[in-house]
Amino acid sequence: MSVQVEELVVTSAGRPLVDVTDIRLAPGRAVTIVGESGSGKSLLAHAVMGTLAPDLEARGRLRLDGTGYDVAERGNRRHLWGRRMALLPQEPVLALDPTMRVGEQVAEGAPGFRSDRRAGRRRAAELLTTLGLGGWTRAYPHTLSGGMAQRVAFAAATIGGAGVLIADEPSKGLDDAARDALAALLRRHLAGGGVLLTITHDLDLARRLGGDVLVMRDAAVVERGPAEEVLHRPAHPYTRRLLAAEPGRWEARSRAGGSPDPGSAPALVSADGVSKGYDGRSVFADVSLTVRAGDRLALTGPSGSGKTTLGGVLLRLLPPDSGSVRHAPELGRGRLQKLYQDPAVAFPARVPIGTGLRDVLHRHRPEPGRLEGLMTAMRLGEPLLRRRPGQVSGGELQRLAIIRAMLLDPLLLFADEPTSRLDLVTQQETMSCLMEQVDRAGCGLVLVTHDRALARAVCDREVSLTPEPAGVPEHR
Amino acid sequence: MSTAQAAARLVPSFSRTAVLRLSVPQRGAAAVLVLLLLFAVAGPWVWPDPVAQDLSRFLQPPGLAEPLGRDHLGRSVVSRLAHATRLSLLMALGCVATAALVGTLAGVLAAWRGGVVDTVLHGLSEAFVALPALLVVLVASAIADGGLWPLYAGLALAQWVEYFRVVRARSAVLLSGPAVEAAGLLGLGPVHVLRRHLWPDLAPLLTTMATFGLGTSILALSTLGFVSVGVAPPTPELGQMVTEAFPFYDEAPWMSLAPVLVLVTVLLGLLGLRGRERSS
Repeated sequence: MSVQVEELVVTSAGRPLVDVTDIRLAPGRAVTIVGESGSGKSLLAHAVMGTLAPDLEARGRLRLDGTGYDVAERGNRRHLWGRRMALLPQEPVLALDPTMRVGEQVAEGAPGFRSDRRAGRRRAAELLTTLGLGGWTRAYPHTLSGGMAQRVAFAAATIGGAGVLIADEPSKGLDDAARDALAALLRRHLAGGGVLLTITHDLDLARRLGGDVLVMRDAAVVERGPAEEVLHRPAHPYTRRLLAAEPGRWEARSRAGGSPDPGSAPALVSADGVSKGYDGRSVFADVSLTVRAGDRLALTGPSGSGKTTLGGVLLRLLPPDSGSVRHAPELGRGRLQKLYQDPAVAFPARVPIGTGLRDVLHRHRPEPGRLEGLMTAMRLGEPLLRRRPGQVSGGELQRLAIIRAMLLDPLLLFADEPTSRLDLVTQQETMSCLMEQVDRAGCGLVLVTHDRALARAVCDREVSLTPEPAGVPEHR
Repeated sequence: MSTAQAAARLVPSFSRTAVLRLSVPQRGAAAVLVLLLLFAVAGPWVWPDPVAQDLSRFLQPPGLAEPLGRDHLGRSVVSRLAHATRLSLLMALGCVATAALVGTLAGVLAAWRGGVVDTVLHGLSEAFVALPALLVVLVASAIADGGLWPLYAGLALAQWVEYFRVVRARSAVLLSGPAVEAAGLLGLGPVHVLRRHLWPDLAPLLTTMATFGLGTSILALSTLGFVSVGVAPPTPELGQMVTEAFPFYDEAPWMSLAPVLVLVTVLLGLLGLRGRERSS
C-alpha cells in the first residue's frame, strides 16, 4: 500500500492555501507535517481525504496503490473512507456522537455491520479491549477523558480496516500520559504495515513518530527530510524559529528585581488541607499551598486531577468541601483574575470585544490611556476591538484577555492553560506578553499547564496534583 | 478549524441595516405584512362603521363603492375586514408581548436565583404545560362571554411557558459559563451580565419565537371566533366572519373568501419572515 500526492493546490477565492508538489507515504514509515496555525496543514489532510469545505477549490492528483484520483472531484473517494483511508479527527471529544454509546459508535464502522450487527459489535468490543477500554463499551463519550476519547476515535477510524490513517492534530488537549499512549498507538499502526500522515504542531510527537517530517509555512513546504535530520539540524530559518519556540529552548528570562525571597513576601492565598468533589466523587483531597506576592507557581498534573477546580477554590469562586482557604485582606474585588484555556468563551460572545472592555473601564476607571498603552504593549491594533470574540484568532484573543485582566492591576493571576490551544510560535509570543505584564505589575502568577517544559521556562516552583483514583465506569 | 473559516472570522463585521440583513423571500414577506398593517391601521379610518346595516343592499357584490361588497345584513365587508384585521393583530401583539415579557423575566429570574425561586417558577410552568392551552383559552372565553380581556389573558397565559422554558434553559447555560464567571471576577454586576451576555444571546431567539407566537395567536383567536366562543358579534372578527358567511358561500363567495385570504396572508407572511436565525 502506498499513497502519493502530486501537485496539490487548494485555493480560496483565488488565494492559494496549500501548494504542495509531491508527498509520498509508504507503509511503516511515518510522515509528519508540522507548522503553525494557518499554514494549510489541516487543509492538506482534508484535500487528500476529499472532505474540503465547499467554498474551497482543490487541484491535483492522488495515487493510491496505482489507482489515480482527481482531487478536484469531491465524491470520488467516498467509497475509500473507513475501508482504505480514515481520518482521525481533531478534538475527538467533539467528533464523537454524544448520544451514542462507545461500543455502538465503533461497531458502526465495522465491515458488514449492516448485515451482521452482532459480529460488528464483537469486533468493536475486541478492538476496544486491545486499546485498554474493555469495560467502556456501554459508556457515553462525555464520561471519557480526552485520552480515552482519542482511543475510541482511533478505534472508530480503523475498525473498517483502513490502512491509510490521517491524524489531524491528534495530541491537541492531551496530557503527557495520554500523549505517550497516543504515540504508541500511532506507532503500532505503522508497525502493522499501515500508512500514517500526521498533521501536528507538536514537535515532540513528530520526534517520537520518526520517519519523515515536512515543515509547512504559508501554504508551501519549506523543508522536508528525515525527522532526526529536520528536527535536530534544521536548514531553513523558519524551522529553526519553530524549534526555538519550544518552551524547553526558550531563553531564560531575567526578572526585574530578581525572585522574591520565599519566606518573607506576604502570603496572598493560603490553602490548608483543602478538598473538593462533585456528586460524591472526590476531585482532589488534602491540598495545601501558599501563594505569595510575586510568586510564579506552576500547577501541573494530568487531566482530571482538579487543577481548574483548585483554581476555582483559590479564586473564591467555589467553596472547598473541607479545609480552609485564607485570602489576604488586600485581595479585594478584581484583584484576583483568571485567564481561560479557551479565551473565546471567556468574552461575551455576541458583542464586540471593545464593548465588554468599555464596561470594565467604566466600572473601575483606571487612569486614562491605560487600555491604549496595554494594546500597544501587546502589539494589538485598535480595529480588533470592533470585532466579536469569534472573529479574532486564538493568540490575539488570549492577549486581549491578558489586557482585560491587567486593567484591574491584579495581585494574583490564575492562568488556566492559557496557551494549550495555541501553536508553538503563538504560545511563545503570548507567554512573553503575559510574563512582561506580570513582571511589570509584580503580581503573583499561578500557571496551570501539563507541559513540564513550559512550567520550568516561566515558573519558580511547581505544585503537582495527582488524580484521585478513577471510579468504575457507570453503566446506565 | 479550516483556514476558510479562519478567513471568514477575520472579515470585520460592519453594522448593516435590518432590511439589508433580510433575504429576498424575507423582504417579500415583510412587504406583504407592511401592506396588511397599513390596511389594519388605515382601513378602519377609511371605512369607519363595520356594524351599519343596510338591509336593502344585502349580499351586494363587490364594486367601486364597496370594494368587497356587502354581507347578508348589508354591512360593508371591507370595513368589517379592516376592523377584524386590526383586532386580530392588536390582540396577537398584546398576547405575545405579555407572554414574552413575563416568560423572559421569569426565566432569567429562575436561572439567576436558582433554589426556591427556580423550583416555584418551574413547578408553575410545568402545571401550565400539563393544562392544554386550548382549554385555558376556552374556559377564559366562556367566563368572558365575548369580552376581550379574558381572551387576551387566556392566550397570554397559554404562551408564556414556552418563553420561560427557552429563556431559563439558555440563561442557565450562559450564567454558569466562563464568560459570566470572568465578568464576576472583573467586578462587573448584573446590569453588564444582562446587557452584554444574556440579552444579545436571547434577543434573536425571542424574535424567532415571537414571530411564530404571533401566527399562533392570530390563528387561535380566529379558531375561537369560528366556533363562536371568541369575540362576541357584532364586533367583527376574522373567524367569526367566516362562520357568518358560511350559509352564503354560493351566492356571495367574497364574504367568506376575504377573511380567509387575510388569515392565510398574515400567516404566510409571518412564516416567511421567520426564516433562518442569523448566527454571528
